[in-house]
Amino acid sequence: MVVLLAVVVLAAIPLVALVGVASADGWRGVVDSVDDRSTRAVANTLLVALLVSMLAVLGGATAALVTERWAWAGRRWLRLGILVPFLTPPFVAAVGWVRAYGPSGLTDDALGVGWSGLYGPAGIVVVLAVHALPLAYVVVAAGLATRAEPDLERAARVSGGSSRRVLWTITLPLLRPALITGAVLVFVTSVNAFGVPAVLGIPAGFGTVTTRIYQDLAFSADPAAFSRVIALACVLVVLAVVATGVAALSGRRAAVRTGGPAGPEMPAVGRSRLPLLLLGAYLVLTTLVPLLALVLTALTRAVGLPPVPANWTLANFGEAIDARTSAALINSIVLAVVAATLAVLLGALIVVLARRRGSRLLPAIATVTFAVPGSTLAVAILLAYGGWLRDTLLLILVAYLVKLWVLGLRPLASSADRLPPEHLFAARTSGAGALSAFVTVVLPIFRPVAAAAWLLVFIFALHELTMSSLLYGPGSSTLAVAVLNLQQLGDPTVTAALAVLLTALVLAAAIPVLLFRRSALEIGRG
Amino acid sequence: MREGASVPGGEGAGSVPALECRDVTLSYGPVPVVHDLTLAVAAGETVALLGPSGSGKSSLLYAIAGFLRPLSGSITIAGRVVSAQRDWLPPEHRSIGMVFQNYALWPHMTAVETVAYPLRRAGMPRTEARRRAQDLLESLGIGRLAERRPAELSGGEQQRVGLCRALARDPELYLFDEPTAHLDSALRADLQEHLSGRRQGSRAAALYATHDVAEALAVADRVALLRDGRIVQIGPPVEIYERPIDLWAARLTGAASLLSVTVERRQGSRSTVAVAGVSLDVAVDAPGDVIGPGTSHGDGRRSSSQDGHGGALSAGRTALVRPGWLRFGGPLTGTVLGAWYRGPHTDYRLDTATGEVALAEAGPPRFAAGEEICWSLDRLWFLPEVASEASAASDSDAP
Repeated sequence: MVVLLAVVVLAAIPLVALVGVASADGWRGVVDSVDDRSTRAVANTLLVALLVSMLAVLGGATAALVTERWAWAGRRWLRLGILVPFLTPPFVAAVGWVRAYGPSGLTDDALGVGWSGLYGPAGIVVVLAVHALPLAYVVVAAGLATRAEPDLERAARVSGGSSRRVLWTITLPLLRPALITGAVLVFVTSVNAFGVPAVLGIPAGFGTVTTRIYQDLAFSADPAAFSRVIALACVLVVLAVVATGVAALSGRRAAVRTGGPAGPEMPAVGRSRLPLLLLGAYLVLTTLVPLLALVLTALTRAVGLPPVPANWTLANFGEAIDARTSAALINSIVLAVVAATLAVLLGALIVVLARRRGSRLLPAIATVTFAVPGSTLAVAILLAYGGWLRDTLLLILVAYLVKLWVLGLRPLASSADRLPPEHLFAARTSGAGALSAFVTVVLPIFRPVAAAAWLLVFIFALHELTMSSLLYGPGSSTLAVAVLNLQQLGDPTVTAALAVLLTALVLAAAIPVLLFRRSALEIGRG
Repeated sequence: MREGASVPGGEGAGSVPALECRDVTLSYGPVPVVHDLTLAVAAGETVALLGPSGSGKSSLLYAIAGFLRPLSGSITIAGRVVSAQRDWLPPEHRSIGMVFQNYALWPHMTAVETVAYPLRRAGMPRTEARRRAQDLLESLGIGRLAERRPAELSGGEQQRVGLCRALARDPELYLFDEPTAHLDSALRADLQEHLSGRRQGSRAAALYATHDVAEALAVADRVALLRDGRIVQIGPPVEIYERPIDLWAARLTGAASLLSVTVERRQGSRSTVAVAGVSLDVAVDAPGDVIGPGTSHGDGRRSSSQDGHGGALSAGRTALVRPGWLRFGGPLTGTVLGAWYRGPHTDYRLDTATGEVALAEAGPPRFAAGEEICWSLDRLWFLPEVASEASAASDSDAP
């Protein structure tokens, strides 16, 4: 009952409202509202998402093969480094790339090498791919661990296959489900991406579906604009559902693994360290340098001055934290704490209830809410609850819960799946009652997972931009929205200062998650 | 310098050994798992690596196959150096067929595709490879399962496919990494028969890692006992069972009891010994016949035992007896502590004047716990280790 109620309130009512409005106006009206710019936005979105999926899966799979196949010394830090972009806010990364490699960025100032294409499709694809790579990496690494065990490759090597041959005939076929899952996750994330296209696409006049929705909803006075928003929102849902369906179909044909536990990993004695060096260089160029550029910009008195200590100042931070942004900061933290707590409680409740009845429904619900894009959700929630919650934090909280409850649910659900019922039986036959068995055996296993899930929801709520930018009103702005607004006003140093603050906040919360690597891995497990 | 130590004289001196490991040290981290191990397997010979989990069996196989690079030492397969300080041959270029503990069957391939895989890699055309693979599957009695994937096969069937894949490689050396560990006893016996039969047919050598004593003694021409990455003892199965080099080796290879005895008179291979004050005529093996591992402490042990009889004869010594060397009826007395019916035989535990001993007798139980019985023994074995432990004890007393 509770599950059903939660689903109805969180997902069903808004989506029904969306479809209801669309059909009440008559689908003709919605279809007619679609203009050239909208169809171009759909084409742009598809192109960007496809390219990003390909790049991110290629890069993520390569990185996973490098870090997971051999027990390199210090591998742990490399894994952490790979996961960092996943947890930093995407639009902050975009701003960082602009400051690092864009016109009048770090490399432009220092070496005269600036990348003007950063504003536009190429820049969007690259930054999104860098940002989505950890997602693909996590999925492929999990696939390597559970499906393509080392002994399977070893069996092929002693059968006479060279390492390249074995990669093509054994490893990649075994990884196929993981590669497809990774590609679909990245595709859906890229279709839904708003922050990066907003920062890099809007100035170049390159629109995607999400930025069109944002512009139509926030700035357009055109009466057809709202119909257009609804049409675009529906397009996003269709794209996401089709992609998820592809993943579900391909997953069904996956070969079933058998046999005992995998063989041990081998130490990387006598192996070339070149892949590690390349991976490290990649991380420095794509993650460290943009973040560094952001920090330097935040510290420098004005754009154009060289970022040397003589020109450093903390004034930008003072300017960044005015009454409005500090209110936004408090809003963000309150929203994130409440959303994280509710998402984990809800997730725990659902896990307990679903376990009692068999969890057929659970994965389906999780998939649906994951697939519905943030922009669409925001529009749907606006339609369903906007009448009485408009411009309140509660409206944004509902949006966060709908979008992020999966992050609270999935780690809990998968650790529940992995908890053998024998553990409970053993406790009961040892004389523990139902309650004390739960407290002494089940809870200790769930506590770290629940903590990781909480932090995860907290982080994503903290840097959520897509929905917040569509739902905020006077007094209910969040920090991410404040950064975006500042950025669009065009004050790079103050924007950078605020972005640094936000990133520091996120990374501080992220460190425990990164240390719980196992639980962090669960997120990507489709 | 140490060549002779690990290779028994049985094989022809002219033939090239299928495998030679020389001073091989392996490690996954700071602590080595195999220390300076030297081992040779003659052409056509099967050597069992017997040891508890963590003794380094699998690591050694992985190093021979080429998955784990030794820190030092060299490995030669059929006269070809595959691993040395500079040279290192990748697994696909070593003449090896391997059977894995977890089967390691590729979930996306059918049985016949799996067995054809090594043939294809060797350059055989697709149709011919499939036909040969089908023949191999038929010869192991699973031809009808050719089109099934691993998930549709039982454990025993999966391991037979794994065996076919290794056979398809037609290598100089087979590596078996506890191939029957996940099988129940009936399947295990069945697979062992296939292994021995196939190996005799192919004349290839084999290294067979296992932690199952009965399996090691049954399949091998020689058994090597592995402890903490070192070979403690190596020799033919009968010798390994009847003449363990120390108490650890004795316990690893089966039940054994210790008796305090005094040797009264020695004549050839038979001696008169006193057990709990009663004189018995028994067969006594001299420890000098034991072939040590030839690594750290082989030579010293051998010389000390050869001429050590005079001193050892007089004093009270600890002797080792296997359950089968004891029998009911005779001059000694005791009380049955427990009897365990095993099917072919019955195991007893007896309380005697010289301590608790284990006795095994064919057939169902004849005595129950608490019954007074008479017993005797036919043979015993003086552990070389006991003598050296005594000398080690006196050494440590000195300073």
